[in-house]
Amino acid sequence: MNRKDLKGPVIKQASPGIIPEARCIKLKNNIPIFIIEAGSEKVIRLEFIFDAGHLREDKPLVASVTNLMLTEGSAYHSSSFINKTLDWHGAFYNQYTERDRAGFTICFLERHFEKLVKLSREILLNPAFPEKELSILLKKRYQHFLINREKVQNLALEKFFNSIFGNHPYGIMIRPEDFRNIKTDDLKDFHSKYYVPCNMAILVTGSIPEAMIDLLESSFGDLPVSVVPQKINKSPRSRSRKYISIVKKNAIQAAVVIGSPTINKCHADYPGLKILNAILGGYFGSRLMKNIREEKGYTYGITSSVTSLKMSGYKIISAEVNKKYAQATIDEIFKEIRTLQKKPVGKEELKIVKNYMLGEMVRMFDGMFALAYSFRSVWDFDLDNSYFYRFTEKIKSIKAEEIISLADTYYNIDDLYVITAG
Amino acid sequence: MIEFTKFRLDNGLRVLVHEDRSTPLVAMNILYDVGSRDEDPQSTGLAHLFEHLMFSGTPRIPEYDKHLELAGGENNAFTNSDITNYYISIPAQNIETGFWLESDRMQSIDFSERNLEVQKKVVTEEYNQRYLNQPYGDAMLLLRPLAYTMHPYKWPVIGSDIAHIEKTTINEIKRFFFSHYAPNNAILSVTGNISTDKVFKLAEKWFGSVKKRQLKQRDLPVEPLQIHKRILQVEREVPSSAIYMAWHMCRRNDPDFMTLDLITDLLSEGESGRLYTKLIKKEKLFSEISAYLTSDIDPGLIILHGKLMNGIAPEHAGERINEVINELTNKYAPASEIEKVKNKFEASAAIGNLNILNKAFNLAYFELLGNPGLVNKQVELYRKTNRDSVIEISQKYFRESNCSTIYYKSSGRNRQ
Repeated sequence: MNRKDLKGPVIKQASPGIIPEARCIKLKNNIPIFIIEAGSEKVIRLEFIFDAGHLREDKPLVASVTNLMLTEGSAYHSSSFINKTLDWHGAFYNQYTERDRAGFTICFLERHFEKLVKLSREILLNPAFPEKELSILLKKRYQHFLINREKVQNLALEKFFNSIFGNHPYGIMIRPEDFRNIKTDDLKDFHSKYYVPCNMAILVTGSIPEAMIDLLESSFGDLPVSVVPQKINKSPRSRSRKYISIVKKNAIQAAVVIGSPTINKCHADYPGLKILNAILGGYFGSRLMKNIREEKGYTYGITSSVTSLKMSGYKIISAEVNKKYAQATIDEIFKEIRTLQKKPVGKEELKIVKNYMLGEMVRMFDGMFALAYSFRSVWDFDLDNSYFYRFTEKIKSIKAEEIISLADTYYNIDDLYVITAG
Repeated sequence: MIEFTKFRLDNGLRVLVHEDRSTPLVAMNILYDVGSRDEDPQSTGLAHLFEHLMFSGTPRIPEYDKHLELAGGENNAFTNSDITNYYISIPAQNIETGFWLESDRMQSIDFSERNLEVQKKVVTEEYNQRYLNQPYGDAMLLLRPLAYTMHPYKWPVIGSDIAHIEKTTINEIKRFFFSHYAPNNAILSVTGNISTDKVFKLAEKWFGSVKKRQLKQRDLPVEPLQIHKRILQVEREVPSSAIYMAWHMCRRNDPDFMTLDLITDLLSEGESGRLYTKLIKKEKLFSEISAYLTSDIDPGLIILHGKLMNGIAPEHAGERINEVINELTNKYAPASEIEKVKNKFEASAAIGNLNILNKAFNLAYFELLGNPGLVNKQVELYRKTNRDSVIEISQKYFRESNCSTIYYKSSGRNRQ
């Protein structure tokens, strides 16, 4: 066959098709268990989700330190016993504290479920918060904090969130003294308020034996019904200063962060905004990547993203760039935004971004990890799979004019915060 | 279990296929048997720079990414000391686009001056972002040339000096391509929602016409046995001191490899690892510590590094590390502890098999090592490790004279 006669293969647009629904069992104390069967291996991923993120904090670090201390000793067992048991059963686990929620994710082979479900219950509901372990943990975290402060990217991001969310827990800046101010009682208090049945959910994905569901029901269903913690009402408020340069001497690159608060997933324009964001800087073929990296070589990578939070949302463009070109990068970012506001996206480019995003929609439901992540990404906002179907429809139907209007509404240059560190 | 079929095209391209109908996607992995070890000492970083140029278009298809994105695909690549690896994840119905794009850039790429100039800048910024502008970022750049004197593993994949990148010419790029990028120097593996038969047909259709090439023969210097311990001390503006240690180890294909891998797990896997429990929890010397193997094909390194708590001297920390290691060499590890690291390995292997990209890479990599069937024997082979082999292998490699150490000292200027 002559290679010159070969044309590129015909492409068929991807589509996520039918998205697996989670089965829900509600325990008598109101804890919901969501179950999604998936995967070709005998592996289970179990996630315990609590409405116990930074949003609940009265004091910096309390939410994250409470979460990290869960595996540092229980009413019945030492930290060392817990860690040994988790490792012996081949468990890969993760303790996380996000702005809105906190939790514990554990992944393991099916045959170990009994021991690990029981241990999870103990870790989550009967932590002892031993002083000795707390002091080690805080010292360790403090060292990480000092190291992170040497990274331009972290300096810029921290200042960015503080600028767009002000003193709200979403925007808090950690200070050295915060590590000294945390006391065991803060953690016990936080735990007793927020790590309770009425404030939690369980998500199970993978190859799930019925016996494990029974065990989850019996282990967590007998907990007494608790008081539902009050809803948080304080909204974040942005600071007025929009341009901040942090000087870090001897830095070779500068971190550039540009963005502002914006709508979240519950808003009808959100899917459209996600598409606009993709065009701007949300994938490898985006305008910012092409311009700043592939044409000018100012950076190894530049990205733009939109994130939803319970009480807000934000869009953010970020890159680490050659120091000489920090201002030029900012100018180019603004130029790209203005172009999106003025000039309709070309036919081919729109087709590329649509097809790419539809491919991403397929990947979002491929396998137990992706399914768990996607489930949470809507459940967190009291939404369901209909959001994904709406999103898919929007990708297929959006026109260039709508993108201009979205760029006009959501990327007002005067609203943007510009933070540099370097 | 990864069931697979293997065949070889007339031009030498090896093809491995594994069907997994639980996913709507197909993963395609192309491994080129070329890495930074194949570079000239005067132009290091070339293999990685070249990886960037593989995305800069070809005479027939000027924009690689555009077509893959149109097909709903996603891709990336990495270069290490031994290999350059490209991978794609794409909805099954568009897999042929992957074959089209990958066979096209195996045929030839655009040797454009402009693309080269831009990617030199991008790689320079990558160098800055990953190594020079990060606290402790240069430590690994220092450790390799301390541990190796002869073997090309002595320079980092990104290059020993950014000047090497800057002076690369288009002719060097051409030479590199035609002596390393060839069907007879590549392994293609395809996994996911596709039949074996279809992969074979597509491979033949698209890759069949790429001509076999004359490859540059690999003739690498052997690293001489290290007979004295080596120590390097540096001072940097970092919040606290750190220590980096490296011991020479066996080749990837050596039977000692698996036991050594489990030994590093005994040392630092999870929060029950020995280094963590003894040196972080009990003695409070470190804020983080880890041990792992570089897993290179030629004899690689056992790496151990940790960041210290404020005010702890790295020399003292090094002594404590050695005591933890001595315990491995002179005292049986409890059976339950060995069982623990085996269980963890088994779980990680099963979790890895959930991902078609991961399965595709493993198939290609074990093919490169000489036996793709071993991909399904790993858990069984790791399970053969016992307390005697742990002692024997620890003694064999953790000798003081085999060790290179960097005391990475904080200048104290930005401590709290």
